Formats: sequence, structure tokens, C-alpha cells
Amino acid sequence: MKPRKDLLTIGDLSTEDVNTILDSATAMKDIFTKSVKKVPALKGKSVLTLFYEPSTRTRSSFEVAAHRLSADVTTFTVSTSSVVKGESVHDTIDTLMSMKMDYIIVRHKNSGIPAVIARHCKAAVINAGDGAHAHPSQAFLDAFTIREKYGTVAGKRVVIIGDILHSRVARSTSTILKRLGAEVAYMGPGPLVPPQAYTDIPRFTNWDDVFEWKPDVIYLLRVQNERIDTPFFPAKDYHQAFGVTDERLRRIDDLNLSIMHPGPVNRGVELCDAAMDYRNSLICNQVENGIAARMSILYHLTPQTQNND
Amino acid sequence: MTNTYIRNATWVLDGKQYDFCLGQDSETACELNGFQLPGIERIAPAGELEIPAGAPRVHDATGKILMPALFDMHASIEIEGRSKRECVSRAGQAAIAGGVWGMLVIPTPGFCFDNAATLDSFHDAVTQRSAAEMLTAGCISQGMKGEQQALYNTLAARGVSILSDGANPPSNLLMLHRAMKYASEIGMTFALRGDVPALTANTCIQPGVTSYNLGLHGTVPCAEEIGIDTALRLAADAGAKVHVQTVSTAKGVDIIRRAKAAGQQVTAEVALHHLLFTHENIGDYDTTYKTLPPLRDTTDCEALLAGVKDGTIDCIVSDHTPCTPFAKKQDFTTAPQGMIGLDTFLQAIYTYLIKPGKLSWEDVVRTCCINPVNIANPIDLEEDVPSAAPLLLFDPESSFEVGADNLPCGTLNTPFLGTTLYGSITLPLQ
Repeated sequence: MKPRKDLLTIGDLSTEDVNTILDSATAMKDIFTKSVKKVPALKGKSVLTLFYEPSTRTRSSFEVAAHRLSADVTTFTVSTSSVVKGESVHDTIDTLMSMKMDYIIVRHKNSGIPAVIARHCKAAVINAGDGAHAHPSQAFLDAFTIREKYGTVAGKRVVIIGDILHSRVARSTSTILKRLGAEVAYMGPGPLVPPQAYTDIPRFTNWDDVFEWKPDVIYLLRVQNERIDTPFFPAKDYHQAFGVTDERLRRIDDLNLSIMHPGPVNRGVELCDAAMDYRNSLICNQVENGIAARMSILYHLTPQTQNND
Repeated sequence: MTNTYIRNATWVLDGKQYDFCLGQDSETACELNGFQLPGIERIAPAGELEIPAGAPRVHDATGKILMPALFDMHASIEIEGRSKRECVSRAGQAAIAGGVWGMLVIPTPGFCFDNAATLDSFHDAVTQRSAAEMLTAGCISQGMKGEQQALYNTLAARGVSILSDGANPPSNLLMLHRAMKYASEIGMTFALRGDVPALTANTCIQPGVTSYNLGLHGTVPCAEEIGIDTALRLAADAGAKVHVQTVSTAKGVDIIRRAKAAGQQVTAEVALHHLLFTHENIGDYDTTYKTLPPLRDTTDCEALLAGVKDGTIDCIVSDHTPCTPFAKKQDFTTAPQGMIGLDTFLQAIYTYLIKPGKLSWEDVVRTCCINPVNIANPIDLEEDVPSAAPLLLFDPESSFEVGADNLPCGTLNTPFLGTTLYGSITLPLQ
């Protein structure tokens, strides 16, 4: 893999880059079973997590990943910083770069912010989710999880269900899965699956068509109420129309399909309670694999903050 | 003082070569092809004008085009962080660089033309600092808040004949309807952009593949079309004249075309960038291409160009909007809308529309010289007579690379930065 400073979108990577990061993630996951769950790959390097949006799993996943690579991790808390006084992103980054950070992991509600930061500083910038644009580390952990389950991504069929319009996960995960030879389809309420999203992807409007397509993986997206000011659909209809109900779960079980979800789950909306304990649910695998995937991403990026000796 | 002579210049409207003698009296004027040429004392076919031996000021204009300077119906001149006087001065220089002798300055928060004092101090600044004429559009509502009508009689007494609330036309339709009924009786024209704020809040790009891939919220074209239709229906009912600002969609052009066919008093403008670029130019979040309204599709560009050619659209405007480099360095959602257009106005029109044969010189003279002056009706307030467009010489053979050195407006938010444009301009002629 050629030296790369930033990870902003999956589209920036070659297929070879994608496979290299996935292969290394396998090696990283082996570390988890050792008595000492740590390697010195990033010893002496400084990692900053800069999250302008709330996050539990992504932030802690990156922090655990950085710790397991022996990096020093600093957490920037937006709500208690000068950001609330109106400081621009550029000025915040200038301040933080004065502290000689090597890696900046950023999440922001505005699409494109990580790219702005990446252009502005020498640290390696990892996009941990920007608006509805991209979430490349989620894409890696999803691909890794499917590869781990089935031995390959190529040829698998994955239907992504829910709010495609606002979902950075849908954009990034569908890109990486298609890159690796999987087939991807979408299903969701009309206003949340815009025509431009499925120019080269099948789109379904009901579960019968989904089952008929014979998917391997049912990938549920979270209904992102925080991004919806005016309702796109009658909220109470969602579970019956697009969620995994008890009845659909039985059918999913009969067909031996896997269920994935990027979390956090809205119980009773995307998934019924029973689906959380379903034998082929890969949701906890996704969380565990997120650490391995993020370790691999950190390992393969090259900051320009110093001579890389 | 001695006369200035111009030899072998090509008159823009008939393509023939003439010799011209510029008079020393500002009220001198000649007529050519039915067009008044202010400042010209004599005209003769090329080689036939008697030029005194040893005349000190003789321009050989072989290969150059003589034409009226342009009038821009839509310029915002405020630059964040700069003094108002500097904004005026820089916009004036930018206009002359782009072949523009006069412009209609659209209200912005820093130039809120809703009262006499603001207008008076602005006119003082223009008199002292500006190389170009600057008319002002008065505000429709006080403070451009869309709540109460501005002082229209006061504005009219200071030469205002066009009203606009800038980028945010009033959403209170009752207030607007009453304003139209009142102000139309004192000869005001309402310059309005089509918009429905409830449909376009928090949006910044044409919806489509680009917006989806970039994860940006799309500005549905129907918001503009509903806005235009609403403005025209209100104006028809109130008996007011409307000037539709920066129409950007094909269906918007159709609405205006139908209104004109029905005899309504409506004029319309298109921004140059909406004729030249689409949302695909945004590429990977290039904020230079963030405009208001957003850049649309190729089919819209084609419909707008057709509207210019068939007279549905009366004016091509710069929609000049200077933004500081820092402002445009921000992310696409946060960065301000707009690009500068004055500095390179005629050169860009020539390079991208005339040279490739998309528009004729006649189209450009009609939409950038004659129609804007007829709509804005610039008046010399001291003399109380109509101001006349001066002439300029345009050399289509010369070219230059656009850079900070030739952008006197002082900001760099132009898509032409680093590109080659054709044409050099001599304005004023001396």
C-alpha cells in the first residue's frame, strides 16, 4: 500500500488498499486473544479524537484501537471547548496542531469537514463520520465482519434497509462491498431513498421483494431522528413497514440470513427485541471488529508531522 | 485639449470598420445603426475620417471592437471585514476591469438601503471613491426583515426605482402584496428571487448525484419556480412591475415566458455562472461553485441560454458576490454562497459565450448594455438627466491568465482563477 496521509472516503482507496487494510485487520484481531492486548506499532505517536457530534461506539472504538497500538490518546471535548464560543474549525485545528498531534480522528455534522481539516494540517486525518457523506471505518468493519462470517465478500448479497438519504454508512458500506464484489440493494421509505442513490443499485419497496432477491445479509440502518426536522414519513408506520418484526425474524431465521446494524439500535423501530438475540446477529461482531479495523487503519496511515523514522 | 481619434474600430452591431472622433463636450453624441454613441463627435467609414497631421491621440483599433460599456443589474459589493468605502472603491475598479460602467447594487446586511442616511453616505462614497456608476436597489422591508415596508418615498427621492431584499425576498406575502400595491404607484419595480424558504432551508446544492455522493442537502428547483410564480401572481394582482432575479431553472424560464406572453410587466435576469456551470463543477466540495441559487443541470443551462436568445431573459448579470478566502476555505455547508463576476465580466462572456458561438455580440449588447439600462434607468441625480453608457474598446485577440493581479475587487472567489480569458478592455476611452 502506497503511503497515505488521510482516510476520508472509501472512494479514495484502490481495491488493493482496501484488501491490505482488511488483511491487516485480521492480524490485529489476533492480538485480542493474547494475554497482553497491545503492540508497540504507534508507540510515541499522539492521537486526537475530535468529535463534534455525540458518539459512543465509534469514539471508544478508535480510542481502544489507538491504545492497543500503544499510541497516546487525547480526547477533545467539543462541549467544553472554545468551539461553543464560535471558534472556527481552522482555528481549533491550528491550536491542536500546536500540540503536535500525529493523528486526528474527526466526526462532524457537516459533510466535507474532514477534508477541510486534512488540507489544513499535516496530521493524518481519519473521517469518523461527516454529515451524510462518509464513514469509511464503519465500511471497513462491515466488510471485515462479512468476510469473517462467509470467508469472502465477493458474491454475497446485502440489502441495506432504512434512511439511505441521511446515511453516511449506506454510502460508505455500499461502496466498499461493491468494490469487493458483493451485490447491494436498498429498501426504505420513498423520501429516504432518493433516485440518485440507486442509479446502479436495485431498490425495493417491501420485504417480499427483499426475500425474493435472496439476500445473505439484512443490514438495518438506524432511523436518524436527530437529522430529521420535518418528518419524512409517519414514524409509527416504520416498524411494520420496514423493521424486522417477529414474523419477519422467523422468516430470516428460516432462510439462515445474517442481521447487521451499525448501532445504536432503536429497539422496536428497526429491530424487534428478539432480533437482538438472534443467532445470526452480527451486531456484536461488528463492534469487536471495529477495533481491529480501526487499528489497521491507524497502522496504515502516514502522518506528515515528522520524519517518519 | 485636443480630440482623440480611433481608427479602424469594428462597430459591435454591424461588424463594419469605422473611424471615430471623440468630442470634448460630454453632451456630444452621434448615432450609428440607431444607437446613440455618447462622446462621439464624428463617425466615418474606416480611412475616410480626416485626422489632422500630428494629432497627438490617435488609437489604431484595427481588430478591436467598439461597443457600449456594460451595465450590471445585480452586484453585491460588501466584503466581510472591509470598510464600506473600500468595498465601494474595489467594486468600482472591478467593474471597469470587466467592461462595466455602472451597476445596480443589491442590498446586503452591511449596505441596507432602507433609509435616507444610508443612501446618502453610500452616494458620497461612490462619488469620492468609485470609478463606476453605482445605483442602489432600495430595500423592500425595513432591515430586510420582511416585516414592515421600507420608506419608499424617501428612497424614491434619492433615485431609487428598484426594490429588493437581497438574497432573502420577503416570505410574508401579505406584506409584499401591500408593498407592491403602494410602491407601484410611485414607479417602483420589485426585484425578487424565486424561493420558498421552507423548502430550501439548510440546503446548498442542486439535488442529484453530486449532492447525494457528497452527502449535502439539495435545493429543489420547484422552490424557485413556486417563488417566481407566486411573485408574478402577486404582482399581476397588485399591478406592480417585477424583475425576476437570477432565474436558474428551465421551468422558471417557462413561467417567465408565459407571463410575458400574457402581457405582464415582467423582466428577468440570469447570472453568468448559471449559463456556464453545473452542479457537477462542485466536484469534491469546491466552495467556489457554491452559489445562490445553486448551479443546476446542463438542461437548465441550455434552457437559460435559449431564454436569453429569445428575449425571455432580459439581462445577463454578474451576481458579483465577493467572499474572503477564509470564508470560502470552510466546509461546503458553512461557506458563503456566491462568486465574483465583475472583474472578468465581459472577458468571460466573450470567452465562454461569444467565442464558441453560443451568443452573438448583438445578444450581449441587448442583454448587458441596452436592457439593463432601460430597466434600471440610471439618472444623473445632479443633472437630473439619464446617464448614458460610455464606449469601450475590446481587443478579442489578447488573452490573460486570471490571478490576484487582475482581480481588483480584492477577493479570489472566481471559477476563472488560473484560467485563460480572452479580451482586453479600454475603458474609459481617452
